[in-house]
Amino acid sequence: MPTWLQKILSSSLGKKYITAITGLLLVLFLVAHLAGNLTIYADKDGSAFNSYAHLIESNPLLPLAEAGLLVLFLAHIGLAVRVTIENRRARRSRYAVANDKGKKTTSSATMIWTGLIVLGFLILHIWNFRIGKELAGESGDLYTLVKSELRQGWTPWAYVVGMGALGFHLWHALRSAFQTLGAAHPYLDEAWEKLRWLAVVLALGFASFPLYFLFYT
Amino acid sequence: MSESMHITLNVWRQKNAQEEGRLEAHACDVSPDMSFLEVLDVLNDKLVSEGKEAIAFEHDCREGICGSCSLVLNGQAHGPHKNTTTCQLHMRSFKSGDNITVEPFRAAAFPVLKDLVVDRSAFDRIQQSGGYVSVNTGSAPAANAVLVPKDDADSAMDAAQCIGCGACVAACPNASAMLFVSAKIAHLGLLPQGQPERKKRALAMVSAMDREGFGNCSNHFECGAACPKGISVANIARLNRDWLGAVLTEREERKDQGD
Ligand code: HEM
Ligand code: FES
Repeated sequence: MPTWLQKILSSSLGKKYITAITGLLLVLFLVAHLAGNLTIYADKDGSAFNSYAHLIESNPLLPLAEAGLLVLFLAHIGLAVRVTIENRRARRSRYAVANDKGKKTTSSATMIWTGLIVLGFLILHIWNFRIGKELAGESGDLYTLVKSELRQGWTPWAYVVGMGALGFHLWHALRSAFQTLGAAHPYLDEAWEKLRWLAVVLALGFASFPLYFLFYT
Repeated sequence: MSESMHITLNVWRQKNAQEEGRLEAHACDVSPDMSFLEVLDVLNDKLVSEGKEAIAFEHDCREGICGSCSLVLNGQAHGPHKNTTTCQLHMRSFKSGDNITVEPFRAAAFPVLKDLVVDRSAFDRIQQSGGYVSVNTGSAPAANAVLVPKDDADSAMDAAQCIGCGACVAACPNASAMLFVSAKIAHLGLLPQGQPERKKRALAMVSAMDREGFGNCSNHFECGAACPKGISVANIARLNRDWLGAVLTEREERKDQGD
């Protein structure tokens, strides 16, 4: 490992830098993923979604992109969990009166819990579609698979809960990450305050799919 | 004198660093014009006259400039007000009948020594690791020989207001010292006199901070709200920038030195 990377990983600031960069790259992935999924709404028979899915699956670089995503998730989760454990250790004895000065939010105080719920969601999601797709083989088209999975038992509700947690996670994350990266300035801060609404857009956008399949198809 | 108030103090008592502490209730009649520390003085007089041990707490200037006083009142570092140290907090900020829980700053890096006194020498060690500038001594330099842009001077002065009290650590859910360190980085790093050691300072102070066992910054921003000197969390973003720049360019510097 080069010394600069070692230095970054052994420092509190470095760990936060990488948590923030990996987190923001994951947000970019989510934006692209949501945009692609919106083809679900293009027609009733799912042909738009299926041809979009085919476009992605036929790209020879797909395994590389999947590996990249896996690395981003593992780095983000590993560092975030480590940072959280260190933070708990830094305050071993609790105050008898729990109080604050009104700056921390539900969203900022629950990052590890919303993160872990998102992780649970991810495992279910990959089971449903990445592994489910392999099991279905060439025969089934993806739209039919998505439709049947997202109408099955508690699955759609688990998706809605997962996306609610994602919304809370990103509401703080989108504000926090730029401060971590040092990009603070009165003008920039105004922009970040607006950008954090992307958290709401992503959460509602993704949560709309299970609700759509459950109630409108 | 204005009417007296009846309050109950639940004070943290702890014999020493090893033993467990507990809260101890004391009923007090106080004047609304008393400062919070004066209430503790009066209570201590009473305890001593009863042959009991006085409550240990730290104080020095009692005018909000030395950073000695600490205390967490009802879960808030330095009490409920903005930009106010405990020594400058007056009892008129409370109501008669109030219960006030008085605790020491809590952080693994600030161990409790006795009652309300914590060991804040971790801040001294961080400061010694790089919170200084080197200057030539001798005859005084000509005034204005070094030009400082007004905006930079203002921001440096704002950061220089930090009195090192540690309320940022006490208020942070992670007991992080980022606001303190960032104030020193901004105070010195914004001025021309601080440039030669700027990179070394950022690296050394962050390493020293990590060694002391403070938490990481999660950007809750509780520190800035609790700071009695109103130090801005924008300094933390500056620290983050300065530190990354120093890490990424440090090797080149060493090469220049033939290392
Ligand atoms: C799509 C998934 C995810 C995205 C887009 C995402 C994004 C982000 C971003 C942008 C940050 C801000 C970094 C900063 O504070 O500077 C963050 C923080 C955090 N993430 Fe995630 N995250 C995701 C999943 C997860 C998962 C699965 C975990 C599981 C443990 C997790 C745990 C955390 C924690 C604990 C923090 C706060 C770290 C701190 O206290 O400073 N995240 N996330
Ligand atoms: S006693 Fe000096 S700041 Fe409070």
